[in-house]
Amino acid sequence: MKRRQLLAAGCACCASVIAGRAWGQAAPDYLAPQRFQRPDLTTDEGGLWAMMDREEKALRRSPLVLRDAKLTTYVQDLACRLGAGHCPDIRIFLVRTPQFNASMAPNGMLQIWTGLLLRMENEAQLAAVIGHEIGHYLQRHSVERLRDIKSRAAAGQVLALFGLAGAIGQLAVLAGSFAYSRDHEHEADRIGAYLMHRAGYPVAESAAVWSNLLDEARAREGEEPSQSSPLFATHPVPPERRDNLAQLAKLMPGGSDGKDRYAEHTVHLLDEWLQDEIKRGQYAESLVLLSRRIAAGSAPDLMRYYRGEVHRLRGMTGDHDLAWNDYQAAAAGAVPPPPAFRGIGLVARQRGQKDEARHAFARYLDLAPDAPDAALIQSYITELSS
Amino acid sequence: MKHHLRSFIRIFRAILLPALALLASTPAYPDARNLAPGFSSLPKSAKVLIMPPDVELFSISGGGVVEPKADWTAAAHTHLHAALTGKATELALQTQQLAEQDADELAEISALHAAVARSIAFHHMGIGSFALPTKNGKLDWSMGDAVKPVLDKSAADYALFIWLRDSYASSERKAAMIALALLGVGVAGGMQIGYASLVDLRTGQVVWFNRLARADGDLREAEPAAETVKALLDQFPNSK
Amino acid sequence: MKNLLILALAMLLAACGTVRKVESGANLVGERMSIKVDGNWNHLDFPGIKPAQIWTMEGVTIDELLVYSGIRDGQIMHPDSPASEKRKDFVFRKTMQTEEIVSMLEGVLSRDGSTFKLRKLEPYPFGGRKGFRFEYERVRKIDNVQMRGVGFGAIDKEELFALVYQAPRLTFFPRHQSRIETIAKAVSIK
Repeated sequence: MKRRQLLAAGCACCASVIAGRAWGQAAPDYLAPQRFQRPDLTTDEGGLWAMMDREEKALRRSPLVLRDAKLTTYVQDLACRLGAGHCPDIRIFLVRTPQFNASMAPNGMLQIWTGLLLRMENEAQLAAVIGHEIGHYLQRHSVERLRDIKSRAAAGQVLALFGLAGAIGQLAVLAGSFAYSRDHEHEADRIGAYLMHRAGYPVAESAAVWSNLLDEARAREGEEPSQSSPLFATHPVPPERRDNLAQLAKLMPGGSDGKDRYAEHTVHLLDEWLQDEIKRGQYAESLVLLSRRIAAGSAPDLMRYYRGEVHRLRGMTGDHDLAWNDYQAAAAGAVPPPPAFRGIGLVARQRGQKDEARHAFARYLDLAPDAPDAALIQSYITELSS
Repeated sequence: MKHHLRSFIRIFRAILLPALALLASTPAYPDARNLAPGFSSLPKSAKVLIMPPDVELFSISGGGVVEPKADWTAAAHTHLHAALTGKATELALQTQQLAEQDADELAEISALHAAVARSIAFHHMGIGSFALPTKNGKLDWSMGDAVKPVLDKSAADYALFIWLRDSYASSERKAAMIALALLGVGVAGGMQIGYASLVDLRTGQVVWFNRLARADGDLREAEPAAETVKALLDQFPNSK
Repeated sequence: MKNLLILALAMLLAACGTVRKVESGANLVGERMSIKVDGNWNHLDFPGIKPAQIWTMEGVTIDELLVYSGIRDGQIMHPDSPASEKRKDFVFRKTMQTEEIVSMLEGVLSRDGSTFKLRKLEPYPFGGRKGFRFEYERVRKIDNVQMRGVGFGAIDKEELFALVYQAPRLTFFPRHQSRIETIAKAVSIK
C-alpha cells in the first residue's frame, strides 16, 4: 500500500504551493512495486503491451536503431542500476533521430533518441531522464492514461459527428493527449530523482536538463517556448519542473556526475549526431547548444567547427565573420576537424581571398582525401589557381 | 518527452493512411487485375513460404477511441494460420513458415515489399485517377533480385506476404452510428482492410495481389475468419 | 451507410490528387526547363508537393523524381508538406553556394525524421550551366526503407533548377539510375 500513499502524497504535492513539501524534511523514500507480470490478453493493459511488443519488433528491425554495442551496453547498465529489481524487464533502444525524446512503454521497451543523447552533458543527466521514464513505468502511467482517454472520449461523442474526418480528429486528439498529465510528470520527476540519488548521482543535474532545454527553446526567434515545442505544450512548464527538481536536489544531496564516463562512451558518435542536428535547420537552438558545449570545454574543436557551420548556413548579416572565427579556432585546436579547413576555404572564396581559400581547400583534401565533396573542392582549387 | 505520441501516430499511419488508399477502390474488377501478365497458375507442389503475417485487431469505443485488442489479435493469428493451411492443402501446395529470427535478418526485404504493396494498392487496385499510365493497367511490379536472400534462406518458390488491420465497433458505438445515421450523419465504424501478395522468389515479380477493404468480416472467430481469408485469397492462382 | 462513407472518401481523394502521363520526348516544366525523357513517366499531382513536381516510375511509395524548375529567391521549399509543421522552413536564396543548396536539400529530405548521408558531391554541367551532382543514402523514417538518391542542379538567372531522384537501394535505384543520368544530361534551360 506504500505505493498508494506515495500517489496520494504526489497529488498533495502538486496541489500545494511549495513544491517538495510533501516529502517532508526527511530524505525521501520510494518503494518500487514488484516486477510486473504480463497482463492478461483480454485486458486493456494486455492490448497495450501486445501493441508495444509489435512496436518493439519493428524497432528491433529498424535501420534507425543504433547498433553501437559499446554505448547500448553502457546505457543498459545505467538503466539497470536505476531500475533495481526491474532490470531484467528493461530493454534499451537508441534511435537515430535528432529530437529530444525518450519514452518507456509498459512492456519495458525504453527508447532514447540521439537528439537527447547529444544534449546530455554527463551520466547523471542521462540517469535523470531514464529515472524519470522508469518512474512512469513503475507507476504504470500509460495504462492510467489510456483509461482516462477512453472515459473522456466516451463523453466527447461530438467529435465523431464528422464521420471519418471526425475519427481522424479523434485520433489526433488522442495522440496529442497521450502525453502524460502534469501530475504524472511530477510524480515521475520525484521517483526519477529518488532513483538517481540512490544510484549515486547528483539530483541537481535533473534540473540542469530542463534548464538547458529551456534555454534552447527561448532562443528560437519570435516564439514563446509553449508554442515552439510540442514538448512544452503538453508537459508542465519547465521552469516549474526545474525549480521542483532543484528543491528535491536540496533534500537529496551528494553524488558524482560521471562526466568523463559519458564523454568516453559517446565521443565517437558526436560527429554524426551533430551532422543530424544542424540538418534540422533550427539554427538558434543549435547555437545555444554548441555555445554551451564550447564554454564547458567538451570536444571544443568539433563544437566550434559545427557552430561555424551553423553560422555559415544561416548566412545572416555578420554570420560569415562569426563562421570564419569559429573555423579558425577549430583549425587551430588540438584535434582540428578536417572540414574546418573547408569552412575557411568557402568563406575565403566568397570574400575573394583566393590564396587563403586555395590553401585551406588543399589542407582539407590533404587531411580528408576521401571526403564526399572532394571532387567539388578540387574544382574550386583549379578555379582559384587560374 | 512525447512518450507514446509516436506510437499513436504510427497507428494513425498504419491504419488510416492505408485505409484511405485501400478504401478508394472500385468494387469490381477483372481477374487479370490480380495476376501479373503471363502468370496464370502455380506449379503443383510449389513451395510457398508464408512470411510472418502482420495482423492487428482493434476495438472502436463509443467515443471513437481506437484500442488494440491483444486477445483478438492472437485469435486472428490462429484462425489465419488454420485457414492458410487449409487453402494450401486444397491447392496441393507445400507451405513453410519463416522463423522470427530469420524475419529479423530479412527485415529490409520485408520493408521493401511493404512499400511495393502500398504502391500496388494505391495505384493499381485504387481508383482510376491514381493508376500509373506507364503500367498500362497491368500488375507489373518486380522486386528483382532483392528477394534472393529469401530464396537462399528458404529454398521456397514463392513468398506470401499478408497485412491485415481489423477494427470492430463496440455496441455503444454501433448504437451511436445508427442514431447519427438517422440524422443523416455517417460515422466511422469497424472496418477490415489488408492485402495479400505472392512474390516469385526467382524473379522477384509480384505474381498475384489482392486487397480487402470492407465494412464486414470478422477475424475473431474461426468461421468468419475463414471467410475473411477466402475473401483475401480471392482469385488466388490455381495449381496445376 | 459505410458504402457511402467509402464513396465519400474516394471522392475526397480523387479531388485532391491525380496522376498524369509524361509523354516520351521533350517536356517543358515551369517556364524555362525542358526535360527530355525516353519513354513515359508518371506525374503525381498531389497537394503539399509544391514547388516541386513529383514524377515516378513505380509508385509514390517506391521511387520519386523531384523536379524543381525556376525556384526564386526567398521561395519556401514545400511549404504545404505535412512534414513542415513545427519544423523550420527551408528557403532558397539566390546567393546560395553549391554547398548551401545541397544542405538545403538535405534539410528538406530529412525533415520527416529520415537520415541523410552525403556520398558524393561534384561539379556537373547541368542544363548547360555550371552546376553540381550529388549522391546520398537515406533511411526513410516512416517505413524504414533504405534509399539511395542522386541529385543535379544549377542556378541560372538567380533561379534554382534541380532534379533529385530517390528509390530503395535494393533493385529500384539500380534499375532506374541510368535512365535518370540520361535525363539529367539532356536537361535544357532556356
